[in-house]
Amino acid sequence: MKLLIVEDEKALMDNMLSYLSRGDLVCEHASTFREAQDKLVSFSYDIVVLDIMLPDGNGLNLLRLLKDKQPEAGVLIISAKNALDDRIAGLELGADDYLTKPFHLPELNARLKAIFRRRKFQGHKEVQFNEISINTDTHDATVHDVSLILTLKEYELLVFFIANKNRVLTKQTIAEHLWGDHVDVQDSFDFVYQHIKNLRKKITAAGGEDYIKTIYGLGYKLNG
Amino acid sequence: MSLLTKITILNLLLAFAAFGIGGVRVYHKFRFEVQRETDFTLMESFDQVEQIIRAGVPAADLQNRLMSIARVDTAGPADRKMVFADTLAQHPVLKRPELFRKLTVTREIDGQFYRFMLMNVVIEQSDISRIITNVLQDLFVVLGGILLIFNFLISKWLLGPFKATLEKVKSFNLQSGEVPVFPKTSTVEFKRLNSFLAEMLAKAGKDYRSLKEFSENASHELQTPLAIANGKLELLLEAPGLDDSQLQLVQDAQEALSRLSKLNEALLLLTKIENQEFAPQTPVNFSDILNADVQIFEELAGMKGLLLSTAISPSVLLRIDPSLAHILVGNLLKNAIRHNVGDGWIKVRLDVGQLTVSNTGTAPAVPTDQLFGRFQKSNLPGKSLGLGLAIVKKICDVNAMTVNYTYHDGVHEVAVRF
Repeated sequence: MKLLIVEDEKALMDNMLSYLSRGDLVCEHASTFREAQDKLVSFSYDIVVLDIMLPDGNGLNLLRLLKDKQPEAGVLIISAKNALDDRIAGLELGADDYLTKPFHLPELNARLKAIFRRRKFQGHKEVQFNEISINTDTHDATVHDVSLILTLKEYELLVFFIANKNRVLTKQTIAEHLWGDHVDVQDSFDFVYQHIKNLRKKITAAGGEDYIKTIYGLGYKLNG
Repeated sequence: MSLLTKITILNLLLAFAAFGIGGVRVYHKFRFEVQRETDFTLMESFDQVEQIIRAGVPAADLQNRLMSIARVDTAGPADRKMVFADTLAQHPVLKRPELFRKLTVTREIDGQFYRFMLMNVVIEQSDISRIITNVLQDLFVVLGGILLIFNFLISKWLLGPFKATLEKVKSFNLQSGEVPVFPKTSTVEFKRLNSFLAEMLAKAGKDYRSLKEFSENASHELQTPLAIANGKLELLLEAPGLDDSQLQLVQDAQEALSRLSKLNEALLLLTKIENQEFAPQTPVNFSDILNADVQIFEELAGMKGLLLSTAISPSVLLRIDPSLAHILVGNLLKNAIRHNVGDGWIKVRLDVGQLTVSNTGTAPAVPTDQLFGRFQKSNLPGKSLGLGLAIVKKICDVNAMTVNYTYHDGVHEVAVRF
C-alpha cells in the first residue's frame, strides 16, 4: 500500500512516517503545496493523507487535483479541531475520512487501513489474521471457520487490534477509538478491560489462540 | 450632582456670605451716619434756641415736648460739655416708647445758667435692618436668577463639547476598537482632552486586539508541538525492550500531555468565541443537533449507570453557529454525566426558547453562579478541566442567550434561554 503524506510540520510528518513505515506501508511525503502537486501529477498512490492547512496553498485544491488525476486514490484529511467547514468541504469533495489534530497514531493507522479496504477490495473486504478472518462488509468474524458472536464494540475492537498488530495500544487510545473523544467523561478507562476480556474469551472458546497481551497498567497489544 | 450645580451652590453660598457681611457693614455705617446727622440737627437746634434766648425771649416760652430748659445755679466745666445719649421716650404719634437722641448741655446766658435737654427721634434700628435685609433679599433673588440663566447658557454652549465627548467615550466598545470621532471645539482644554482620549482609546483598542491575537496565536502554535510530543511518546511505546515501569512513565507523560492539549484547545476555543470568530449566519434546527448529540452521549451515560431521558420539541430553530451549538450541548451533557451519582439520571428538555439539562448530583462546593467561572471545579476529582461551563457561558453571551445554574434537593439544573 503506497501512501503520500502531505504535512508541512516536519516533526509531525516524522512521527507519522516512523509509525506507519513499520507496517506494510510505503510512505512518501511532501511538505509544501507545490511538492505535493508535483508528486500527485507524477506518481500514483493508494491513499493520500492531506493536511488542509498548508503554508503555500489550500489543501482542498490539492484534493480537487487528486480527484481529477487519480480518482481511485483514497483521501484522509487532517484538520484543526473545530474547523468544521474545512471538514465538510473536504468530505463533499470526495475525501474518505478525516482526523482532527491531535490524533493517536494507531487511530491514523486503523483509519488508513479501513480506507484501503474500502477502496481496494471491492466485493471482497476480508481481513485475515492467522486463524481469525473478518468480513468488514457483513461484520462477520470467524476463527477456524467458527463464527464468533461479537457485540459491535467487540467487533470494532478486534478490527482495531488487527490493524495495529504488534503495536502497543493504550487504554485511552482504545477507548477513544471505540467511544469517541467524549469518552473522557468516564472517571477511568478501566471499562475497556471488560470488553477485551469478553473478546478474548470468545476467541479462545472458538478454538483461537489468545493473541492479546496485557501490558499492566498501560494497555494491550495483539501479538501476531 | 453635576459640576454646574456644585459651582452654582458654591456661588450662592459665597454670595450669601458676602451679602451677610455687607449687610452688617451697611447697617453699622448707616446707623453711624443717621446718628451723626441727628446729633448735628440737635446741635443746630440748640444753637438757634441759644440765639433766641440771647435775643431776649424767655426760656420758659421755648419749652416743648422735645426740649426742656431749666435754670440751674451753677455749672462745672463738665456740665458745659455737650453730652449726647440714647434714650427711650414716648412717641407722640405712635404712642409707644421709641429711641430718641438726647443732647444735654449747660450754658450761661446773660449771667444765668440754663440746662438744656433736646431730644430728637432717631430712625429705628429695626427699621434700618429691615430695609437692608429686604434690599439684600431682593438682590440675592435677582443674582440667583441671573446665575441660573448663566449656568444654562454655560452648560449649553461652553460645556456642550465636553458632554458630547463624555457620550462618545461611554459608547466606546473595546471589542470593536473603533475610536470615536470627537466633536470640534474651540476650547483649548477640551481640545487637549479630546486628543488625549482619542489617543488613549486607540491604544487601548490596539492593545486589546494584540492581546487577543496573541492568546489565540499562542494557543494555536502550542497545538503542534503538543501533537508532536504526543506522537513521539506513542513511538516510544513501540520501542523494544521497555519494562513495565518505563512504559508506565511514558503513559503518565502521555496523560499529562493529553490533558494539556485539551486545556489548550478549550482556551483556544474560548478566545475564538471572544474574538467573535463564530458568526451565526442562518438559523439551525437545534432539535436535530440536540438529538444527534444525545445519541452520542446516551451510551457514555449508560456506561456509568445513568439514565438519560429526553423531551425534545421538534424543529426548534436557533440562530447559532452549528459547531458552537454542538459544543454547547456537548459540554452540558458531559457535565451532567461527569458530576452525577451512582444510579442517577439526566433529563434533557427542549422547548421553544429554552433548553434545560437537569441531573442528580451531590451539592456543589461553591455557589452555583460561580461555577461559570474559569477553572471553577467542583469537589469531584478527575479529568474535568474546569472550563466546560465557562465555555457554555461564553457561547451564551455571544449569542444573546442567558444561562442559569440551580441546585435544589440533589438535582442540578442548567437552563439556557434564547
